[in-house]
Amino acid sequence: MLVDFRPTGKLRGNKPVDPTASLGPVLDALAEDSVDLSRIRVVCDWIQYRNNFRDVVDLRPILAAHGHESEVMPVALSAVMTSDEMEVAIDVRRSGDVPLKELTGDLIRAHAAGTNPSRLYLEPWRASSKSMIWEFNALYWKALDLWEQITGQQYEKTLPGGESDARNRDAVREIITSLFAIWDSLAERNALPDELYVVEFGPGNGSQAKTWLDEFTALDRVHGKEYYRRLHYLMCDYSPHVLEIARAAVADHSQHISSFVLDATQPRTALGFLAYKIFLVYISNVYDNLPTDEVAQIGGRTYTVESRAYLPTNAVADIAQLVSAQPGQVPGLINKLLRLQPALLVEALPAHFPSVDVAVEFWRRSWAALRLEEQYLPLVGLDLYQIAPTVSGENLRPLLESGAAIRMHVNNGAVASFVDTLPLLHPFGRLICYDLFVTDVHAYRTGFRGPGKYDGSVVNWLNGPLLAHIGRRKGFDVDFQRFAHRAGTNIVTMTAQVRD
Amino acid sequence: MLPVLPTTVVGSYSVPEWLERLKTDYYRNRISRSHLGEIHDMAIKAALKDQETAGIDIVSDGELRRDNDLDYLLARITGVHIPVTVKSFYFDYYDSPVVAEPLPLDPPLPLGLAEDFHFTRAHTDRPIKFSFTGPFSLSRRIQNKVYSKPADLVRALAQVLNAEAQALAAAGADLLQIDEPFLAGYPEDVGVAVEAINIVTRGVDVNWGLHVCYGNRYARPSWEGHYDFLFPAVLDANVDQLVLEFGRKGYEDLHVIQQLGWEGALGLGVVDVKTELIESAELIAARIRKALETFPAEKLTINPDCGLRHLPADVARAKLVAMVEGTVAVRRSLPENSGPVRPELIPAPTVEQGA
Repeated sequence: MLVDFRPTGKLRGNKPVDPTASLGPVLDALAEDSVDLSRIRVVCDWIQYRNNFRDVVDLRPILAAHGHESEVMPVALSAVMTSDEMEVAIDVRRSGDVPLKELTGDLIRAHAAGTNPSRLYLEPWRASSKSMIWEFNALYWKALDLWEQITGQQYEKTLPGGESDARNRDAVREIITSLFAIWDSLAERNALPDELYVVEFGPGNGSQAKTWLDEFTALDRVHGKEYYRRLHYLMCDYSPHVLEIARAAVADHSQHISSFVLDATQPRTALGFLAYKIFLVYISNVYDNLPTDEVAQIGGRTYTVESRAYLPTNAVADIAQLVSAQPGQVPGLINKLLRLQPALLVEALPAHFPSVDVAVEFWRRSWAALRLEEQYLPLVGLDLYQIAPTVSGENLRPLLESGAAIRMHVNNGAVASFVDTLPLLHPFGRLICYDLFVTDVHAYRTGFRGPGKYDGSVVNWLNGPLLAHIGRRKGFDVDFQRFAHRAGTNIVTMTAQVRD
Repeated sequence: MLPVLPTTVVGSYSVPEWLERLKTDYYRNRISRSHLGEIHDMAIKAALKDQETAGIDIVSDGELRRDNDLDYLLARITGVHIPVTVKSFYFDYYDSPVVAEPLPLDPPLPLGLAEDFHFTRAHTDRPIKFSFTGPFSLSRRIQNKVYSKPADLVRALAQVLNAEAQALAAAGADLLQIDEPFLAGYPEDVGVAVEAINIVTRGVDVNWGLHVCYGNRYARPSWEGHYDFLFPAVLDANVDQLVLEFGRKGYEDLHVIQQLGWEGALGLGVVDVKTELIESAELIAARIRKALETFPAEKLTINPDCGLRHLPADVARAKLVAMVEGTVAVRRSLPENSGPVRPELIPAPTVEQGA
């Protein structure tokens, strides 16, 4: 049996964690069962998100391929292992508050029986990036106004520091000043284009665009080159409603603003005409909110993580009662919520949802109770796993090749967005992204990096080494710096620009 | 005998992901130089077969032995010191090659390109284009610690390449192409570049091409602009053909090139190598017909904009097939007397036996 205690930093300090408090009851439960202990690995994490998708203890089958049907392809056609192995996952942070031995025993018995009566499943096994949680995430952004009404809190106020780091004026001035330097240099060589393009993905309420443009005009006035006259600031979002709000915020700069409805994972569908023309692509807190798979290296083999969403049955009764439904109807109602959104749900199913408030409360409670069950599915070849269109899983190889056990994000949505954005950059252009980045693969071995719940959205850290590797393969230097303009932040600035 | 509007490639051919991985594995000491050489041999044979199957008239070895446009040559030039020969990705350039002593030029030591040509010759009966990076572009990645003027390093490199060109001609090469991918970034240096090109071509009696594009590093353009920067200097270049990029940028520069006095042949870029979208044969034909409004058919060779290195193999093959089909369609629409031309361009190939 292998025990992987990841939050090693918690074993020291003022309040060191006692690992035996977590491991002891779990090992006792395993020992009392007839399960083959040599095929068990125990993984301890410290789930720092108060709201997340995991139970305190869970079992994750490590699948051999035989007989397994999955939406994730490809699977190994012939199994190397003769039977499944098992991972037991413990959240050390919460393990002191629950009867861990009993819970573990229940899970083992449920696994042996092939069904878990304490879980109401909402979907079949899927690649993590296809999980229902991303539909919840999309709903949050589409119906943010309704969510904020119910919770009484604006999204931006829930961010650390109370505002997006993209609004930090020192950071904005630094970027604009460096842009001026590039433009001055190009102008000297008579190579400065007439039109100067800056693009922002995910403008939110437009406040960061306003900060940026206000600072730009002020600095340009001092600089004296009239770059503002040539500037085109493009705001891009998949929500026309968001763009409308953002446009109102930058009304003072309306002559220099264009807005585009687009999917952040495919920016060239709308911006293809700007290939090699954009000097700055500006992204703040977007990538961490895009769908991601996870891959794991276990026992020298590579797996993808499959998940299926469920509700604990002890939470379902309460949710069902709220909407005058039987517990068995809840999965169907959740699917309708995700398809129709709260306002239409009221029209479609008035017997269950007499008002929008009830629909939003149903949404909020379902989201709060939502959990993910996981299993590991083997990959036969990295080249056959597609990270994103045109990006094969071969790009994961340098991060996995040590063979050491690791589980990490693939950040499929972020990678798709990143590789589809790079061709838009002018040879002297830059992509600047503020987000939560893991900058060293080793960090995945010692800390939990998501997914967690952030208000009504999903949050994940981003696999910086993977993005850097992919960027490098496309001719870009990718650099990570801790956000310099606010103390104590986890935000990292990723900058990509053409090398050579 | 080549047909009118012969089709060819610029040089490099698709490098599949598995080959990239193996090339990178070499730098991590996971496979030997010997095995990598065998892999390259197999890949080159496949590339030749792909081109033949697509119907390309003048084929190349796909430059598949080369990591990129510079390192293969720089690493072989005596006097160029490469302090760090490890790479994390094979396609990256070596960091900071240095020339600290004058290059030995009496005579320059061979680079081994003739052996590469021999291999290609032995595995195809089609005419071959053999390309190598020109002295100006090679010089741009070198730290020059010995020559007082950058131009002197360019001239010295040109002499090395001249000796190599003589060896290639002696090996049977009859169509050589000098690539200058960095030139568009330094338009003020065209004069030096042309002077060096004339050193390379001096005394080498083959058909010479000069390829100038706007860069294809990592499938991105490195520069933007127009081909007027080449003139008038390029009119003094002792080359028979300019091989230029038009498919991506458009054909406006054709008039500029004609009006500024270019009377030689033109390698017409009709395939955008920076997109995986496959041009239709009809589009290719339309591009050629557009060029025929400015240049006569007997002066045109049809090729992609640049090397196909960054395209997936299936895309590269499909683009070449479309290029050939589009060209054939145009040929059929030409007057009867436009038939096979330029037998002087490519002498009948000689196939080595038993190789």
